[in-house]
Amino acid sequence: MSIQPPEGILCSKSHEWVLEQGDTFKIGLTDYAVEQLGDIVFVELPELDSEFAKGEVFATIESVKAASEIYMPIGGKIVEVNEELINAPELINENVWEKGWLVKVQSDSFSQDSLGLMEYEDYKEETV
Amino acid sequence: MKKTFLHDEHIMLGARMVEFGGWEMPVQYKSILDEHKSVRENVGIFDVSHMGQVFISGDDALNFLQKIVPQDVSKFSLNHAHYCQLPYSNGTLVDDLIIYKLENKYLIIVNVSRREADVDWFNINSKGFNIKIDDKSDEFSMIALQGPKALNVIEKAGIKKENQPKFFTISQTKLFGFDVYLCRTGYTGEDGFEIICKNENVVDIWKKLLEYGQEFLIAPVGLGARDTLRLEAALCLYGADINEETTPVEADLGWSVPKDKKENYNGKEIILGQLNGEIPLNKRLFAFEMLDKAIARHGAEVFIDGKKCGYVTSGSISPTLGKNIGLCLISFVGECQDLATSLNTKEKSIGRTIQIMVRNKMYNAKIVKKPFVQKKYVK
Repeated sequence: MSIQPPEGILCSKSHEWVLEQGDTFKIGLTDYAVEQLGDIVFVELPELDSEFAKGEVFATIESVKAASEIYMPIGGKIVEVNEELINAPELINENVWEKGWLVKVQSDSFSQDSLGLMEYEDYKEETV
Repeated sequence: MKKTFLHDEHIMLGARMVEFGGWEMPVQYKSILDEHKSVRENVGIFDVSHMGQVFISGDDALNFLQKIVPQDVSKFSLNHAHYCQLPYSNGTLVDDLIIYKLENKYLIIVNVSRREADVDWFNINSKGFNIKIDDKSDEFSMIALQGPKALNVIEKAGIKKENQPKFFTISQTKLFGFDVYLCRTGYTGEDGFEIICKNENVVDIWKKLLEYGQEFLIAPVGLGARDTLRLEAALCLYGADINEETTPVEADLGWSVPKDKKENYNGKEIILGQLNGEIPLNKRLFAFEMLDKAIARHGAEVFIDGKKCGYVTSGSISPTLGKNIGLCLISFVGECQDLATSLNTKEKSIGRTIQIMVRNKMYNAKIVKKPFVQKKYVK
């Protein structure tokens, strides 16, 4: 978890990250959020093609102690979910920036929705 | 918020602290799953100083206890521990307790959240008895050492065989030179010890146990794993599985209540009536295992044959089994009254499919036998 996040990552106040990759955006949880949650034991991901606005709940992550709702850092349509997490939710703990990604979305509203997202260094400063 | 005398030790060990029953307690150090595993495979050390210690002494101590618990205290042997309940007059629970019979007195371990309610109830019931109720909770700290290697640590710490208490007994001995009550009890389903000592000695004892336990891979364990461990052993948690509205029989604790106790005790008519089947149960606690992939947590609604008939009292992943498990309280009244006959024996209830609502979706589960993980007590 001490691995540095990939270049260009943007973080939300609700502790999700977004990374632009070609014409899709990859979304995951920040290292800070994962550390707070502890061991992740269950992940509920959205259905393909479902659409969410920025700020809507799109997934649920359960640690041993509790279930936490995860919010969309940008609006968009789900084009891929990380199916590996269904049988190996611990990948989020082990590799939050790469193998622990949650969903990929197509977003028409990124330029608008990304206002208010922070670069990792600024996010770190704000949360820690 | 109250802090235990081990607070600084927890911070130094990197614990995340949470509020529990008015106390600031460690919920985890590094990982709940790893801590859970340490206790099942090696040995874990817990700060349980939030638990209360109340001593009852005086000429009428036995008669007083006979009045307040369903268990037959006259049959308790010296230095033995007993799991007991503390019912109100209507049979529902003020608390559940461990009572140790010592020389000329009894030591009662009470839940932190119920300490005041318990002592109030003791006082209310003490009229006419020549007893002394001595709440020493503020003077004592308590450490639990749990797991298959707990005995190795105690032996290495120099406790000789004759001073090692056997299962569910207590001995008064010296540990690292300090006077302690050493009890062969716990809340994990593993062999292990609970050590009650004076507050001023607890840091030394804690540090030394960690040091002596190193070769046995000892790990500090927080409340998070304490909860998953006790749930796997199907041990009730007051405030979750049992409360002021449940009787011992409804909580499936009837095994601990004697049918032949002669003395009258609070709630006897109802508790004994339920135990003998003369008074119908309004509800009952069952163990379940999820069949579908979901974790049903405290408060989730339970459905049988499409009818809402209860709720989950405790639910979690079982790290040992890799399944999702829990306890639920199922109602036998109103719309669900037919369940009183269709679930009233183990044969009929075990294996029965139920549905549990999690985030507005129904998931299948089935009723299973308790405990989820076999207890490994050394008797």
